[in-house]
Amino acid sequence: MSDTTPPRPASPCPRCAHETIEHITGSPVPGVWEVLQCARCLYMWRTSEPARRTRRDAYPEEFMLTPEDIGAAPEVPAVPPLLRARGRNGYQVTGSAYTP
Amino acid sequence: MAYDDFRGFLDALRKEGQLLHIDDEVMPEPDIAAAANAAPRLGGHAPALYFDRVKGFTDARIALNVHGSWANHALALGLPKETGTKEQVEEFIRRWDTFPVTPEWRENPVWAENTLEGEDADIFRVLPLIRLNDGDGGFYIDKAAVISKDPADPQHSGKQNVGIYRIEVKGRRTLAIQPVPMHDIAQHLHTAEERGEDLPVAIALGNEPVISIVASTPMEYEQNEYELAGALRGAPAPVSRAPLTGLPVPWGSEVVIEGVIEGRRREIEGPFGEFTGHYSGGRNMPVIRIDRISYRTAPIFEHLYLGMPWTEVDYLIAANTCVPLYKQLRRDFPEVQAVNAMYTHGLVVIVSTKKRYGGFAKAVGMRVLTTPHGLGYAATVIVVDEDVDPFDLPQVMWALSTKMNPAGDLVRIPNLSVLELAPQASTPGITDKLIIDATTPVAPDNRGNYGTQVRDLPETAEWLTRLRQLAATR
Repeated sequence: MSDTTPPRPASPCPRCAHETIEHITGSPVPGVWEVLQCARCLYMWRTSEPARRTRRDAYPEEFMLTPEDIGAAPEVPAVPPLLRARGRNGYQVTGSAYTP
Repeated sequence: MAYDDFRGFLDALRKEGQLLHIDDEVMPEPDIAAAANAAPRLGGHAPALYFDRVKGFTDARIALNVHGSWANHALALGLPKETGTKEQVEEFIRRWDTFPVTPEWRENPVWAENTLEGEDADIFRVLPLIRLNDGDGGFYIDKAAVISKDPADPQHSGKQNVGIYRIEVKGRRTLAIQPVPMHDIAQHLHTAEERGEDLPVAIALGNEPVISIVASTPMEYEQNEYELAGALRGAPAPVSRAPLTGLPVPWGSEVVIEGVIEGRRREIEGPFGEFTGHYSGGRNMPVIRIDRISYRTAPIFEHLYLGMPWTEVDYLIAANTCVPLYKQLRRDFPEVQAVNAMYTHGLVVIVSTKKRYGGFAKAVGMRVLTTPHGLGYAATVIVVDEDVDPFDLPQVMWALSTKMNPAGDLVRIPNLSVLELAPQASTPGITDKLIIDATTPVAPDNRGNYGTQVRDLPETAEWLTRLRQLAATR
């Protein structure tokens, strides 16, 4: 909601300890908070949240993720086999009129 | 009384003393979610909450707990706010009898006032997103109606779907969605993905309250949610065509997001504190690309807190889970009197029924397990006699106390399907299920020593009415 310059995050991802943190957006009132996201586990947080959600050293152990956890995450729902090779068709599927 | 848009319902809640405006400035986290976590504990007349002073935002408007009490649920259906739970379910059943009611196409939807497209379609520019529970992977949108069509039969309006699914915000133009395999949108996605296609979707936020109720009702695959909305409202549901996808969306939504579920793509999502009162783990789930956002000027973000029951979601999926199960059971078994499936979306289902002959109650219990919703939810079914009110838990406990003998009344069926979020399953998606027959055995099932049961005195019903009136006028 604003175009404030993103500050460089000072700590790694609270959840998976990855060092690459993306800046997603800043507060409309400049400088109040930033929204950040881990580039690996995609955890997203606001810098004004409590330490238990924003700091690696205060993050609850039961919610931590490792690269192995991410790699072993089940697929929900499973991707079905292709009926036949075919490209994506964008919006063609629902281009038809709706008949209530 | 039918509401055409979300703001009309908020006005009604305000007039009825069922909307609490929080004037103080609050932090986006954890204040708003914590307040919504607390609100249902105010009881059956808990109010909706409205926040418009949120730190760091200039124009945030957030409403929560809109369906979060029996009083608000009654008002959503246009009933007096004092209407009891059982009476609300009975009225729901009566109105369902008028299904289907054709929706009404309307021009100039309220959400068409503003548009962001392509790279400008940044969800953070429109919604004051907040996080709910501590372990959530990020910000969620969890009370939006998601509209999609069956790619193999897009002209069939019954096969289109309006449903509420958990949606995680993954980026400015990226969302994740959870299509539980038992739900209609998962069938749409399956068809699209086996063809190698994306699935177009429209996501409507901030809807008139009956849309939220029908979108969370476990209807049959070919039943149209807007046609049920018309029946419940007592007036056709106003709909408009979404500009990019052509999908039918509610006329009165605050925000309409359009895009596609990207076919054959999965990405890490979650965890999320779910309706089961437990977090889901992190899983690889489908991804939505946002292509267009339409929104009403000064949009209100309607959000829903869910956690350890009861929270708002438990009110939202209470009556509307009971009624389709009741309707479907009655088709085959007119002896069924009432169905209470309001605990955790029907992971427990309580059915009262008359018996044709010995063993009949167990057959009713088995039928519950094979209804479309039962396939994914009903893990425990309790069957009670026709004179036991399944909404009166002390009566249900009496039935369990005196009618049920584990020697013959517990039917355990191994390895049936259940939604993957069910925490009790050893293998996610597969669980044993249990039928508890707490009915009085009838011939030729001659177990037990049942003499003559004590019944209410014939004058009791009259006295109940009289006592209620006296108590109300004290």
